[in-house]
Amino acid sequence: MDDKSKQLLQRVIRRIPIQTLKATLEKWGRLTAAQQQSIDFTQSKRALTDTVIDICEENQLSMKHITELEMINVIDSPNQSMWHALQLIDPGDDAQTVEFIQFKKQFKSHLVELVRHVSIKIKKHTDEAIWIRIAWGDSYTRPNHMKPTYAVHHLQTPYVFVTTLTSKQKPLLSQALLLSTQYQTIKEANLSGRKLTAIRDLLMKQYQQMFPNSFPSLLTETKENVPDPHKVHEQAGTASTRGRLACETFGRGALPQIETTVYKLDTKYKDPTNQTMSERSRPFKCVVKFESKNLLESLRHCATSGIVSTPVAQLLSSIPKKGRNFFYVTDTDAASSSQRPASQV
Amino acid sequence: MSILKPFNKLPSLNSASILLVENEEQFQQSLAEAIVKDTDFTVNVRLAKYLPLPIENEETRPRIDLVVFIINLTSELSLKSTETSLKYLDPAYFLGKVCFMVTSARVSSVPVERLDAVRKLAAFNHSALLFAEDQTPDGVTMAADRLKTILKVSAGHVPMATALYLSSLTQCTQCTVPTDIDQPSFN
Repeated sequence: MDDKSKQLLQRVIRRIPIQTLKATLEKWGRLTAAQQQSIDFTQSKRALTDTVIDICEENQLSMKHITELEMINVIDSPNQSMWHALQLIDPGDDAQTVEFIQFKKQFKSHLVELVRHVSIKIKKHTDEAIWIRIAWGDSYTRPNHMKPTYAVHHLQTPYVFVTTLTSKQKPLLSQALLLSTQYQTIKEANLSGRKLTAIRDLLMKQYQQMFPNSFPSLLTETKENVPDPHKVHEQAGTASTRGRLACETFGRGALPQIETTVYKLDTKYKDPTNQTMSERSRPFKCVVKFESKNLLESLRHCATSGIVSTPVAQLLSSIPKKGRNFFYVTDTDAASSSQRPASQV
Repeated sequence: MSILKPFNKLPSLNSASILLVENEEQFQQSLAEAIVKDTDFTVNVRLAKYLPLPIENEETRPRIDLVVFIINLTSELSLKSTETSLKYLDPAYFLGKVCFMVTSARVSSVPVERLDAVRKLAAFNHSALLFAEDQTPDGVTMAADRLKTILKVSAGHVPMATALYLSSLTQCTQCTVPTDIDQPSFN
């Protein structure tokens, strides 16, 4: 084992929580049963790392095997880094029939053609997701395994989720993805977050949604609360309407855990009480950021409790509707989602 | 818009009604449950997010004996909403049939000015100001008990005591009230 792979192994083990280390090593399967038995998992992380490195050296494992371990860890706990969503558009004729073996072969060959020194690992996970690990190098240097890019793609869906991708590598990855998935264009989906499953669920609409219908009475029946004659809610009607409108926008049940939403405003300041600001010819620039453990849940609560006016403003409702959490708001640009001044958000 | 009046309906026997107004609609639920639980007289609890109350319920609504405004100190909106709601109350209510209940007053992030504003509000309206703990069940029961004691008086269940007494005995005087509504001085 060379120094580089030792370094990587050290880092991978440092990232794996001590509770799951045993299971992860078992899944990896590069250590013999006897070797696994001999490891004392109660000792400190540092000592544990040294033991594992010694065993790996004994087994003469190479970089390839270490990257396998890293991949297993990333697949098991994908919430350790920031994921960005990319959207593929304009599917070609064969886009619906791409299957795993063909995708794997094509992706590898295309990327190797673009950058000669690159190490690619592709693995199909149980939930139909394809996990791609790319260690980048350039014409003169060998692939850097310390800063790999991970990409997750579900076949037959137009979304790819990537993490730690630099602007230099982005066009290369985009091109390889386009060629192997038979799509024409790729663009930013303006959605990012730490929870991979959450951004996937939001984009693919895999949460319990509710669609507007004209029979609100059907919905109230689901709530089984016997009214207490001594406890009467005066504004019960408006409260239930608010609840229904909030559910129509954000859905019922558990929501994907989106943590932030950013609005970049570049609009004219509109406030009748503030003359100096509203008469300025230049647009008012600011960034509005909402942060929460579960932002959609919070927004739904705001709408149900009446803190946010219902029907929910377009800027807030387009988070689940469009599956985005970055918005650039301008006054004239038709491409932007909405035209509302900062003071009203 | 309809203004809530204290004397436009007849009281019913051995019962009292209390109206809880809270913009957040969080604490009022648990408080209502605690109030309804084991009482020696019938208590009708009405919950509202803000005043005015809808006209449709006018017929079924009993005579309201005590109006409680619950103000969550952590939210500016809560105070603002209370201020606007106050306009829809008949002046006769301010003779001892209104009280303000403040929650989260011990939260350190609350600006001091807001508590002063609430105190001033209570002093201006000659009404009682109560502080309550809404996070623990004990705090909720305690708050409910205090409200029930006041409710008994304002509904006329206590002999020899009327709401008018309450007004002068429990009004908030902890804050500097402008001299024109203060007690006249004799020097």
